[in-house]
Amino acid sequence: MSETETQQTGGALERVGEALPPSVRTPAPGLLPGEVRPHPSPFQYVLIAVVLVVVTGIEVALSYTEGDLPDSLIVTLLLVMAIIKFTLVVSWYMHLRTDKPIFRRFFVMGLLAAVILYLVVLSSLHRFT
Amino acid sequence: MTTTEQPSNTVTDVDEGSATPVLAEGAPPEHSGHAEHPSAHPTATGVTSPKLAIWIFLASDCLFFGAFIAAYLLYRGHPNQKGPGPREVFNIPFTSITSFILLMSSLTMVLALAALQHGDLRRTRIWLMATALFGATFIGGQVFEFTEFARHGLHLDSNLFGSTFFVLTGFHGAHVSAGIIWLLSLWGLCMQGRLTQKDAQRLEIAGLYWHFVDIVWIVIFTVIYLVPQPGK
Repeated sequence: MSETETQQTGGALERVGEALPPSVRTPAPGLLPGEVRPHPSPFQYVLIAVVLVVVTGIEVALSYTEGDLPDSLIVTLLLVMAIIKFTLVVSWYMHLRTDKPIFRRFFVMGLLAAVILYLVVLSSLHRFT
Repeated sequence: MTTTEQPSNTVTDVDEGSATPVLAEGAPPEHSGHAEHPSAHPTATGVTSPKLAIWIFLASDCLFFGAFIAAYLLYRGHPNQKGPGPREVFNIPFTSITSFILLMSSLTMVLALAALQHGDLRRTRIWLMATALFGATFIGGQVFEFTEFARHGLHLDSNLFGSTFFVLTGFHGAHVSAGIIWLLSLWGLCMQGRLTQKDAQRLEIAGLYWHFVDIVWIVIFTVIYLVPQPGK
């Protein structure tokens, strides 16, 4: 997508946003404990939901290409899309991008511990050979 | 970055064009309505204990679900399994719809929180109830799915696929069910006027739990249902 097209799309979204009532287009007033920046606005939440639904649709469609595409490619694309959805929910809906970094550090620590531990377990049990 | 003291109780971080008023630690907020929050006292970590606790719980829950996902992957496609396998029982269109419903419940959850932060209790109740109903619909779909699997002869003790699948998705369903009870209790408090704008963090903590069960399902849906099954 060219820069002009991106600006036009952004402009259209802004116009839609401006047509909404203030309680929908503006973030909540003030900050909750542990927040560094305000939460996203309800309008931004809806945009994230649209992205999540579109990515899920692509995932399901991709799963039906089994046999037409190499399995390794399908698995890679599915995992990438799952990571995108996971990151969007954690960053925007769970507010890790606007909260203090301590929450992100604790969560990432647990997540990485789980991923590394179980990759080691599966490797040691020859699941990948 | 420069920090400028404001006449009120805020400190403004001036950071490359984006100036966002941030409430100073321990200072009473003017309009956020969280000044009387019981957990707003100073802590060693600088953040409130309930919110830190839920994040530590969620981090530990990653290890909990990781164990079941790893067990499923370990026995996936294991030879000499009697009984039906994933290819015979999975109904991807049906599970896609229930996954969509769970995703939408995350949207209604954040809308409930935004409404409460705006002080709009009517919308808070509506979005909270919508979230609980979406969650209940997801659980209904899971019960239907389990019943269909049983009709095809797949039980907890049928084979390794049945054991690992039912334990993983069953524990996820138990988490969703606990979340529904949590949401309904908050909805009840809101109806009684005991959940107001100043209690927004209580709803945020419930929301963090709810979104967590959603992201766990994102992983389960991809790894268990969508990834091509072995043994064509």
